[in-house]
Amino acid sequence: MSRLRLEGLQLAQGGRTVLEHLEGSFHDGAITALIGANGAGKSTLIQAIMGILPPIVGQIHCDVPKERRAWLPQQLALDLTFPMSVEELVMTGTWPSHGALKDYCGPHYLKAREVMRRLGISHLAHRPLGELSGGQRQRALLGRTLMQGAELLLLDEPFANVDADTVTVLTQVLREMADQGTTIVVVLHDLEQLARLADCVLLLAGGHGRWSTPQAILERHGVADHTSQAPLLPLGFPGAAS
Amino acid sequence: MIESLNALLLAPLTDYGFMRRALIAGLALSLAAPPLGVFLMLRGMSLIGDAMAHAILPGVALGFLLAGFSLPAMSLGGVLSGLIVAGLAGGVSQMTGHREDSAMASFYLISLAAGVMLVSLGGSSVDLTHVLFGSILAVTSTALLLIAAVCSVTVLLLALMFRALVVECLDPLFLRGQGVRHGLIHGLFLGLVVLNLTAGFQTLGTLMAVGLMMLPATTARFWSKRLEGLIGLAVVIAMLASTGGLLLSYHFELPSGPSIILLAGIAYLFSALCGRYHSVLARLRRRATPLESSANDYQPSA
Repeated sequence: MSRLRLEGLQLAQGGRTVLEHLEGSFHDGAITALIGANGAGKSTLIQAIMGILPPIVGQIHCDVPKERRAWLPQQLALDLTFPMSVEELVMTGTWPSHGALKDYCGPHYLKAREVMRRLGISHLAHRPLGELSGGQRQRALLGRTLMQGAELLLLDEPFANVDADTVTVLTQVLREMADQGTTIVVVLHDLEQLARLADCVLLLAGGHGRWSTPQAILERHGVADHTSQAPLLPLGFPGAAS
Repeated sequence: MIESLNALLLAPLTDYGFMRRALIAGLALSLAAPPLGVFLMLRGMSLIGDAMAHAILPGVALGFLLAGFSLPAMSLGGVLSGLIVAGLAGGVSQMTGHREDSAMASFYLISLAAGVMLVSLGGSSVDLTHVLFGSILAVTSTALLLIAAVCSVTVLLLALMFRALVVECLDPLFLRGQGVRHGLIHGLFLGLVVLNLTAGFQTLGTLMAVGLMMLPATTARFWSKRLEGLIGLAVVIAMLASTGGLLLSYHFELPSGPSIILLAGIAYLFSALCGRYHSVLARLRRRATPLESSANDYQPSA
C-alpha cells in the first residue's frame, strides 16, 4: 500500500483546469520523476500534494503526517537575503520536534553537523545564506529536510542553477533517503537526470498524467542505453517531446 | 566641567517629572519598536509601518471626539482601526489574490480620509496637530503605564514567536507545510506593529512613531549582517536617539518628536555614507577578507 495516492484528481489554477482524471500511487521508498513541458502542471500537482492548493474534484490520500512532509521549493521562491547562517537554516528543520519555543540542544546540533558533513557544507556552517552559490544553497535547503526526518519529500527542479558537484551530492543523498523508505517526488527537466535518479515517472501532458518508467521514456527519446554519457535533449524541448 | 555636564544631561531629568516620564516612555518604545522595524525591513515591508500609522488615525480621532483628550479612549480607537485595516487588507489579498501591499494602500487611504473627515467635523485643527505630532508634555503617568505595558507585551510576544517569525520570513510555505495556520504569525506580527504605533503617538505622534520603528532598523543594516546584531544595534540606536532628542528638545525648545526622529535620521545618513557594509564608503574601499586556506592547500576534487 502506497502512502501517497491520487484519486480522480482535478486541479485548477485561476479558474483554468490544469490537470484532470489523475489517478495512481507513488511508490514508497522510490524516487518518482514528475516530467512534462512548461505549464503542464508539475508545480500545480506539487502544491496540491503539499495541501496548499485544494483539488476541484477527487482526493489526494497522504498517510504521511504533515510534519514529516518536506518540500524544497525552487530557489527563486525564497528570500535568501535574510540574515541567517547555513547552520541556522538546517536547524529550522527541527520544527516538528521543537516547534516555535523548545530550546535546541546538543544532540540536535550534532545531528545538524552530521547533516552538513553529509552534504559537504560543513565549512559553510556560519556563512550567511546571501553569500552562498546556487549549489551551496540547494545543499543547505536539502539539509533542512534531512534534519526534519522527512518521509515524503517533494522537490521542484532541484538541479536548476546548480553546479555538477552539487548534482552528484544531491543525487546520492536523495538515493540514500529513498533507500531508507522516504517517498520522493521530484520535478525534473532533463533526460540525463531522469536516467540517473528516477525509479518511476509520472508524465504530465495535455492536462493528463501517464505513469511510466525511466527506461520507456528514454527509449522513446532514442536513448537506448541510459548509462551512456551522450548529450541529451532537455524534456519539453520542441524536438524532444512527441 | 562636571557641573556643566550635569546641567546638560541630568538636570533636566532630575528637575522635571515630565522629562523623566518622557525619557522612560522613549526608552521603553526604543526597546520594543526597533525589533519590529528590523523584521518589517527584512520582509520588504518597510513602508507598511507608515501605512499602519495612517490607519490608526481615524480611531484616535474618534476616541478623541467621543471622550475628549482621554488616552485610553484614543489608544483603544487607534488599535482598533489599525487592526481593522490590517485585517481587511490581509483578508482582501487572500480572497482576491491581489498583493497585500496594494490592498493595504487602498485601506489605509480610506482610513486616513475618514480620520481627517472626523477630526474636521468634530474638533479644531489644533487637536489634529497634537494627534499627528505628539508632545512630551502629554506623557502622564497613565500614559507611561500604557506605554510600558504595550512594550512589555511586545517584547514578550516577540520572544515567543521569534523562531516562527524567522522561519516565516525565509520560507512561508515551510511553516504552512508544518501545519501552522496560514497568516497566524503574520497577523500577530502586524498586530504588534499597530500596538506599538499607537503607544508611540503620545510622545512622537502617530506619524513620527514609525520613525522610531524604521530608522534604527535601516541604520543597523549598514553595521551588521546578523539578525541578533541588527536587533541589538537598532535598539541601541533608538535609545540614543530618544535620549538625545529629548535633551535637545529641552535645551533648544524644539518639538520632541521631530528631534528624536531627526537624530535617528542623522545616524541613518551617516551610516549610509560610512557604515561597515553596503555603505558608499564600503563600496569605494572594496576590501575583502583573504581566503582561509593558502593556494598550496588547494586540491581539485575528483
